[in-house]
Amino acid sequence: MIDQILFWFGVALLFMGGVLDVIASVGMNRFRNFYLRLHAATIGSIGGGVYPLVGVAILVLGLDVPSTFKYYITGSALISALIVVLTSPAGSHILAKAAHKSREVLPKPAIVDRLKEKEVNEE
Amino acid sequence: MVKSIYAYLIVGLILLGIYILYTGSVSMMELILGAIVGFSVAYIFTDEWIKKPSKLNLRRLSILIAYALKYFTVIEAKAHWSVVKAILSPKPSLKPAIVRVPYRVSDEYAIVTIANSITNTPGTVVVDVSEDKKALFVHWLFAEVTEDEEARKHISAEFESWAKLIFEG
Repeated sequence: MIDQILFWFGVALLFMGGVLDVIASVGMNRFRNFYLRLHAATIGSIGGGVYPLVGVAILVLGLDVPSTFKYYITGSALISALIVVLTSPAGSHILAKAAHKSREVLPKPAIVDRLKEKEVNEE
Repeated sequence: MVKSIYAYLIVGLILLGIYILYTGSVSMMELILGAIVGFSVAYIFTDEWIKKPSKLNLRRLSILIAYALKYFTVIEAKAHWSVVKAILSPKPSLKPAIVRVPYRVSDEYAIVTIANSITNTPGTVVVDVSEDKKALFVHWLFAEVTEDEEARKHISAEFESWAKLIFEG
């Protein structure tokens, strides 16, 4: 009974991650600006990366396999999820900062750009 | 030599725990190897990582776990839903802007926690941090307000109160 619940809960998380990945790639194509695409990429890395990894960790616990494999897969999936959570924001943060600093892409359209105001004031 | 034996033991045990979780077995071999690697890494880095060992206690750890649980269920679900709606609607009503969000914490871990929490929720990405003015510059997809304090209320007030409980005080 508990095996069934764990298995289907993991499958649900995996399925949700797949759907979110598809939506994120649609967003990558529909948003026409670098900064807007960063938000779609966040959906891809958190909703489409971390949740499926947690799903795999839970799913394996409900399977009928030798416990060595079980705990090995669960443990490495959980650690991978933790590493993605801690490092993926650093990646998008440095991409956004580099794009803004080099003025390679302008954040247009934008209502206000406080960072540009600050840079202009300092110059 | 490490400054605080207590912090050294805690960091070493955390690293050993991560190693055991990763390998998924508690045989003698893994325990010995994990202890050797974990405690040597802890010997090098503890002074760098832990500035105030008295802050390491169970109360802060339990608040951190409560925050992680709330963040990965309620907050992430709300943020994902709003951006998914914007992607799938035929004419999305986007108001992109880079707003200034002031913060009132001084601990480095707290600042990183706030910045990572903001970036990990879809719809907000931290572009730059100004440490002398104590403000984060956030690219916001649905900028309803552009004033500093109002934006802080919408984006980071909740993360900041949790980070304050976990890392400060």
